[in-house]
Amino acid sequence: MADTPDWARLSDQEVVLQARAGREAAYRELIRRYERPIFALIFRMVRDRELAEDLSQETFIKALNAIESYRPEFKFSSWIFKIANNAAIDRLRRRELDTLSLDGSPQAATPEAMQATALQIGARQESPLEAVEAKELGGAIEVAIARLRPEYRSCILLRHVEGRTYEEIAEILELPLGTVKTYIHRARNELRQLLAHLREE
Amino acid sequence: MTPVPGSHLTPDDLDAWLAGALAPAAQEHLAHCPACQERAETEREVVALLGALPLLGPTPGFADRVMARVTVPAPAPAPSLRSFRRRILATRRNAALAAGVLVLLVGSMAGSIAWTLANQETLGTVGQWLTYQAGQVAWLGVRGVASSFIEQPWFAELKGFAAHPGRLGLALALAMVAYLGGILALRRLLALPARQVAHAGV
Repeated sequence: MADTPDWARLSDQEVVLQARAGREAAYRELIRRYERPIFALIFRMVRDRELAEDLSQETFIKALNAIESYRPEFKFSSWIFKIANNAAIDRLRRRELDTLSLDGSPQAATPEAMQATALQIGARQESPLEAVEAKELGGAIEVAIARLRPEYRSCILLRHVEGRTYEEIAEILELPLGTVKTYIHRARNELRQLLAHLREE
Repeated sequence: MTPVPGSHLTPDDLDAWLAGALAPAAQEHLAHCPACQERAETEREVVALLGALPLLGPTPGFADRVMARVTVPAPAPAPSLRSFRRRILATRRNAALAAGVLVLLVGSMAGSIAWTLANQETLGTVGQWLTYQAGQVAWLGVRGVASSFIEQPWFAELKGFAAHPGRLGLALALAMVAYLGGILALRRLLALPARQVAHAGV
């Protein structure tokens, strides 16, 4: 019988090697290590638990099915965060397009239909459920993060929630280092302003 | 009012301050500038709020749902004694062949041991003769290489160089430095490129 490695002692690269050798336990170990940070990043990007769950699944399925194409000279974390961030950004862009097309919807022939469309858009962004959820998730800071531009959001979450370095964020988002720094500074600045009322209270 | 030394903190300064590595000049400014103090404090609060966000996770059974849609490559079969034995005993012909090889190996080994024990004197004489012949051949080889070396055009220059102990020492020292440099370069080349990630223990 083959030996069972002590997974906790292995680096990501070593676990990937085991996965490539066809060990299902290695795949599960990679999921165990990254399911929470990947889900948290995606959830805070898209603000929808069900969608975040779907996108997290997509991320892992895509990464693990392409494990042969992963290059070990790069960090596995950077690789999987890149896939997750791309999935979230793609979905946000698509949602933006959906919203725009509904605004000028050719199907909205009557004023009622127009109103229904408008309500749908409003409901998607500021439903009472989402407001309660935001409160549950940590209140004002979660709401403030949600108000940032998606690219600022990715940067600030990767830096201050996931603890990634500037260099790694630049690699994940495929942005120049200077741009990453600027985005993070601007994001912090916006968060300060958005949270200013808390200080005053 | 006391003048504030230096210029206001830049975003990079604030990063350095958050990391506890602010330059002394900027520190001096911060100590005297209420605007920068306020800015730095609010930055710290924002960063603390971000760091204290709850760690979210997917619903239970996430790994199973992912694995249901992941194709795990078939593990490469490791050669084992059991599979080897099974292959040998797969047909009668294979088994007979294996038995023949085994008998031949054991028989030849036993025969060799028996002959050695019975002819120790002969074996000793043959051993001595072989040792002598091998020594002769080795000596002839060394002499051949030495005479070929001496006849080379650069031999005289080399001999002159080696005649000065200082130069010889310098050459040896250079060779040693090059050797150590090579070893260090090799160690760097063979070092693992990536470190353990922060989430490995989560």
